[in-house]
Amino acid sequence: MKEKRETMILGGAGLLIGVIAVLLVKFGNPANMGFCIACFLRDTAGAMGLHRAGAVQYLRPEIVGLILGAFFLSLGRKEFSPKGGSSPVTRFLLAMCVMVGCLMFLGCPFRMVLRISGGDGNALLGLAGFACGIGVGVLFLKKGYSLKRNYKQTKAEGAALPILTLALLLLAVIVPVLFFATEAGGGPGGSHAPLLISLAAGLIVGAVAQLTRLCMVGGIRDLILFRSVRLLMGFVGIFAAALICNLAFGFFKFGFAGQPVAHSDGLWNFLGMLLVGYGSTLLGGCPLRQLVLTGEGNTDSAVTVLGFLAGAALCHNFSLASSANGPTLNGKIAVVICIVIVSIVAVANTIGKEKGR
Amino acid sequence: MICFVTFYSHFDAIRMRRRLEDLGIGAVLMPVPRDLSSSCGTCLRFETDLPLPDFLSEGTEKVVEALGGGYRVILSSEEAP
Repeated sequence: MKEKRETMILGGAGLLIGVIAVLLVKFGNPANMGFCIACFLRDTAGAMGLHRAGAVQYLRPEIVGLILGAFFLSLGRKEFSPKGGSSPVTRFLLAMCVMVGCLMFLGCPFRMVLRISGGDGNALLGLAGFACGIGVGVLFLKKGYSLKRNYKQTKAEGAALPILTLALLLLAVIVPVLFFATEAGGGPGGSHAPLLISLAAGLIVGAVAQLTRLCMVGGIRDLILFRSVRLLMGFVGIFAAALICNLAFGFFKFGFAGQPVAHSDGLWNFLGMLLVGYGSTLLGGCPLRQLVLTGEGNTDSAVTVLGFLAGAALCHNFSLASSANGPTLNGKIAVVICIVIVSIVAVANTIGKEKGR
Repeated sequence: MICFVTFYSHFDAIRMRRRLEDLGIGAVLMPVPRDLSSSCGTCLRFETDLPLPDFLSEGTEKVVEALGGGYRVILSSEEAP
């Protein structure tokens, strides 16, 4: 009974988030990119000058809102629980690899769902790869994979990154000249909803995701591990609402070629998202979930978010990120190397566990 | 009583289920209920009238007893160094 109620709440939360995501596009965000944690962290890295790809630089208020929405709600619900110390360097490394996969595909799992609901067939191949990656990660979970336990941290430590993001946003508003920003029409970074709308959308979705534990990776992981569709319902709700809104606003366009901020190289869309599913399962959640956990005071997730930022900078400084023209050779090599790195992390943190039985 | 045990890893939960089953206690592996925690790992649910075994502290995050509308914490390793 309780599980049924949770499933319904997750479905409802997904519907709300799907509507908000398409409204953000209506208000100015790039097409099929109402939300994309990877793209928005990449834009934010660009805004701070961590990379110099002029087309993707903008301090996205949605990111700040997502973290703070989860932060304030968890404080209000007495669920703000600072903890960390579970292999932070390994998490940083995994996060960089996940970002390489995201920027090969051009989107995080959240945007993958939004791309499918906009009619982008390439994202279906991404979904197939994503599910396969989670399947591989689950095999390691069953064999004993663990990054070891976390420990209680101080409130100041848990609140450090949420407060830092707020300070960054305030700085960007008060002294905008400090940050890089793509001109309107100059690329995806130049397309954005008004600041307050973006911030409000982030706050609402962050709070809803904290309340429901919505996670794109967790949905498929729990389906495989427990045959539970509960978390998956968030995923389904986002897809359904975004599909209806895209149809209503005339944004829906089914096909593979010429999709917005996407390429049609099926193999690399598949492999990019395989890497994302694999790495995120080992991290314990998708990029959206990492932002929400950061808001709850989880410093391991905060380190993961910093890893995403560093990974995004790496992708654009070394030409690893794809574009509408397709993947780059450097990007293909990097995805293969990252799959190997993630596998080494998986094996190294799994072997020997069976002995403890 | 009905107990829930949360863990730091999925494998710890699998291992604990085996140990409980060796004692004749049937335990179900499931996602952690939302009202128990905001984290989304694996937990075990089991029912027993026997005293809880000592090994329940190994690799576990928390052991709680389900009451009518909530939970009573029996063991928590959150404060451990």
